[in-house]
Amino acid sequence: MAKMSKWLSLAMAGALAFSLTACGGKADEGSASSGAGTGGDKAGTVKEKNVTITFQNIYPDPTDPKNKLMNKLVKQYESEHPNIKIELDSLNTDQQKLKLKTQAASKEVPDITVVNPAAQMQPFVEAKLLAPLDDMLDQNGLRGTFQDGLLDWYSFDGHTYAVPDGNNIGVVYYNKELFEKGGVQVPTTFEEMVDVVKTLKSKGIQPMAIGEKDTWTGSFLFMNMLLRTNNGPGFLKDVLDKKKTFEDPAFKEAVDAFQNLIQAGAFQEGVTSFDYNAGENLFKTGKAAMYFMGTWATGGIETSSVNGKVGVFKFPTINGKGNPDEFMLAPGSAFAISADSKHLDETKAFLNWFMLNFPKEAFEAKGAVGIGQKVDGDFKAAGYSDMAMEVLNLFKDVKGGDLAFDNTMNPGTAQAHLASIQNLFVQKKDSAEVAKEHQSAFEANNK
Amino acid sequence: MNVLKVSRWTIAAFVLPCLILYAGIVFVPILVSMYSGLLEWNGIGESRFIGFENFKNLFFHDPVFWPSVRRTLLFAVFSMAEIPIALLVAILLKRYIRRPNFLVSSYFLPVILSVVVVGQLWKTIYNPASMGGMLNQVLEAVGLGSWTHEWLTDPSVAMYSLYFVALWQYLGYHTLIQYTGILNVPEEIYEAARIDGADGFAADRYITFPNIIPIFKISIVLAFIGSLQAFDMVMVMTGGGPAHATDVISTHMYNMSFLSMKYGYGSSIAACLVVLCLAATFLINLIFNKLEKRFS
Amino acid sequence: MNTSSAVTLNKPAAAARRGRFSVAKTIVILFLSILVVTQVYPLLWLVLYSLKTNEEILSGSFFALPHAPQWSNYSAALEGNYFRYLLNSLFVTSVTMAAVILLSSLCAYAISRFRWRYGQGVMLLFLIGMMIPMQATLLPLMIIFKNMHVLNTHLSLILPYVAFSMPIAVFILSGFMKTIPHEIEESAVIDGASIWRIFRSIILPVSVPPVMTVCILTFINIWNEYILAATFISSEKLKTLPFGVNSFVSQYSVNYGAIGAFLVLGALPVILIYFLLSDKITEGMVAGAVKG
Repeated sequence: MAKMSKWLSLAMAGALAFSLTACGGKADEGSASSGAGTGGDKAGTVKEKNVTITFQNIYPDPTDPKNKLMNKLVKQYESEHPNIKIELDSLNTDQQKLKLKTQAASKEVPDITVVNPAAQMQPFVEAKLLAPLDDMLDQNGLRGTFQDGLLDWYSFDGHTYAVPDGNNIGVVYYNKELFEKGGVQVPTTFEEMVDVVKTLKSKGIQPMAIGEKDTWTGSFLFMNMLLRTNNGPGFLKDVLDKKKTFEDPAFKEAVDAFQNLIQAGAFQEGVTSFDYNAGENLFKTGKAAMYFMGTWATGGIETSSVNGKVGVFKFPTINGKGNPDEFMLAPGSAFAISADSKHLDETKAFLNWFMLNFPKEAFEAKGAVGIGQKVDGDFKAAGYSDMAMEVLNLFKDVKGGDLAFDNTMNPGTAQAHLASIQNLFVQKKDSAEVAKEHQSAFEANNK
Repeated sequence: MNVLKVSRWTIAAFVLPCLILYAGIVFVPILVSMYSGLLEWNGIGESRFIGFENFKNLFFHDPVFWPSVRRTLLFAVFSMAEIPIALLVAILLKRYIRRPNFLVSSYFLPVILSVVVVGQLWKTIYNPASMGGMLNQVLEAVGLGSWTHEWLTDPSVAMYSLYFVALWQYLGYHTLIQYTGILNVPEEIYEAARIDGADGFAADRYITFPNIIPIFKISIVLAFIGSLQAFDMVMVMTGGGPAHATDVISTHMYNMSFLSMKYGYGSSIAACLVVLCLAATFLINLIFNKLEKRFS
Repeated sequence: MNTSSAVTLNKPAAAARRGRFSVAKTIVILFLSILVVTQVYPLLWLVLYSLKTNEEILSGSFFALPHAPQWSNYSAALEGNYFRYLLNSLFVTSVTMAAVILLSSLCAYAISRFRWRYGQGVMLLFLIGMMIPMQATLLPLMIIFKNMHVLNTHLSLILPYVAFSMPIAVFILSGFMKTIPHEIEESAVIDGASIWRIFRSIILPVSVPPVMTVCILTFINIWNEYILAATFISSEKLKTLPFGVNSFVSQYSVNYGAIGAFLVLGALPVILIYFLLSDKITEGMVAGAVKG
């Protein structure tokens, strides 16, 4: 019996191993042609030109115009290049960030991925995970389609590593109807803005909306105020260069101004549990009078119930400081190519074609406000709304500005900053203390 | 007392497939993770060995870590405290309802629903009254306006609001487990006890309770696991905010490893989590071995 | 004889009890009914939610009915590859459950019934891993799977799902198996049955209850799992249901209604199966967990 059971046990173990590999094998079949990162090279050797490009992107929602646009372009490219297959890995933003970081740790970056500008993409560039795209930009004049200076945010040591899908600025949207009801005018200084908040509040109108659960939202507003109190851009850069510290008066002044706004009752109750969309929705349903956000919000506001009642204004001066023509600049997320891509040339060719066609398609899909490329075409004639035209006109006034905090400082410092600013929404703090918090976080993260 | 004597091969065939898979997929990564805790590494570029520096920072300089440990443990305590309630519900079901299966299944429903749903649902309950929050509106309607809170954003109550959601979600889960446990206690024992004059809750005290101690152990273990892994719910409802006020160990780990890109530091938090798990496992086993001895 | 007399003796007492405690009973039933409402309402809420517009959802009134039912949410959800995701989820989940049950019952049997030196040691190993969250191993697993060349296959989900479900499964199953009377096996051994036969035709059949428990626990843990799935799977045709839910979250907008619709569609098969089997499941769990 002992002998018998020995054989049986081996057989059973074998069966188990088989059943496991069997189901693995099945799944493998499905992906043999696809996994460019994993087994794609095997598929590639069969017929030299058969290529699968993995395209990681952040347009997962099939009802989102950008998803439709991407699908359309990909299908068109595939039909024109029958040997090329584009495998879309569409993820939401948070998940894509997590996935890319995990993939980067094991050097498994997909052929095309999405990165964020400046400091956020720097670790990827330093780890040599991204391919320089200079040659791709020079092909078919792609470089010239981008707005002047925009590619600088994605360039390191003279090489460009990513091409952005967007370029936005921070503006204040306001609801004209609610302003009329509250009997207030568009503020030209920050002090007026605080008064507007108080007046609206006293008339039972929610002055501003923000989705502060996402933390970057509050930081984006705060940084605009710092851009004013610092009398111009470059504060964070000065801190990085050790020319200034966070305990500089300009920073404290910005914190105080920011708290004035909060203490005046500008924001809705329970603000830190509102995510980005819930916050924006207050404005889009006409429940809040003002909304500070990047111009990417234009499309969403246009399709909401307040369309036609909304105007925009530049963030005003604070204590007479700053220039309203300096904006918070938000160069968008950008497509990058893996340095280890097995089909570098094909991938570059595709991305080149994709980006060349991007502006035209976006323009037609009414999504061209805030894209990173120049658009030929009459927006007005194409049916863009008055508000969109107003936003487009603001772009013409841009005389420089600052990037968001997390695009300038390293992630460790940025996270500390985001939490510190979020805290101001739930409790009043001494500005010196906030400054100190920032400075010590900066020092701890920049040893 | 194990009786079956079998050959080494047989034992290997029974144990190894399971053990190898487990060791390869669970143990090795954990060990790798613990090693990463000794590195200064952003998860992408070059890493540098720094010994116990991360742990030193974690224990002595991190203002978020200890509060997050405390919240995680409190989470576990509340989850465990729920089990007697689940037991009570189970006893009531058994005693007063003729066909309780439907009810048991209904109670179980929230467990099946994704955390996304549960989170969204409770946000609409907890919101401020001006934003349509049901709880605050009800409180105001019945004249308890002073009891209203910003349930998710007031740092002093936000965490308790989260505990409560978890309790609500898992009540049915523990009820199901306890209920099946009670069903399993042989009816004859109750009959015998009744003759001896023990009825109702007295019978529960002397029969139900000792008989389902093993079930209790499973529930306790599951409750503990659940609270250590309460990541999703916290992320959906508060994201750990405002200003870390609702961070638990797992969200802090995520924050450090992936948002702050200090993967080494995040791994040192993971290592602490593992140690905490170990301690909990031993403690639970110790207590239950004692309990079982006392009651058998 | 004895039992029958006991029953007759008890009858009037029971009747009296029922009469006397009717107030208590009413309260209890009321309490249990309220519980039903609080626990089942979310499902109803979700169905309403799935028929609302984004504005209606975000304005957040709790009991409000949708102004006009938005069936387009459902067509959006179906457009979001629902059926493929569902099939993938079912495949991954069922293979995982089968593997967990097979592997861990073998192991649990060895731990609880064989006479060998390291049984307790192996058990201890499993106890250690029982509470470790899957997500803590994300990055090392990525590297391991890369070297195993299983990234972007269903195996890269099944392996961790199985491995992380095993500790609790072994814990529950071995606890149960310890309580099976030894006489059963002894007589089988005398009859000349092999250890495999004993396992297959005696141990497995009596272990159905704890196996049900393990099934439910495993299922709950993996059906909605997203982080590993999103990290290890890239091909559209291999993705699982939680992808569908999350695909309606874009950078600057969330399609809540479609998420709701997707969740309803995702939960529907589960709830149907669960209620159809609920008698079996409760029965199955009887004895299952109790001897743990």
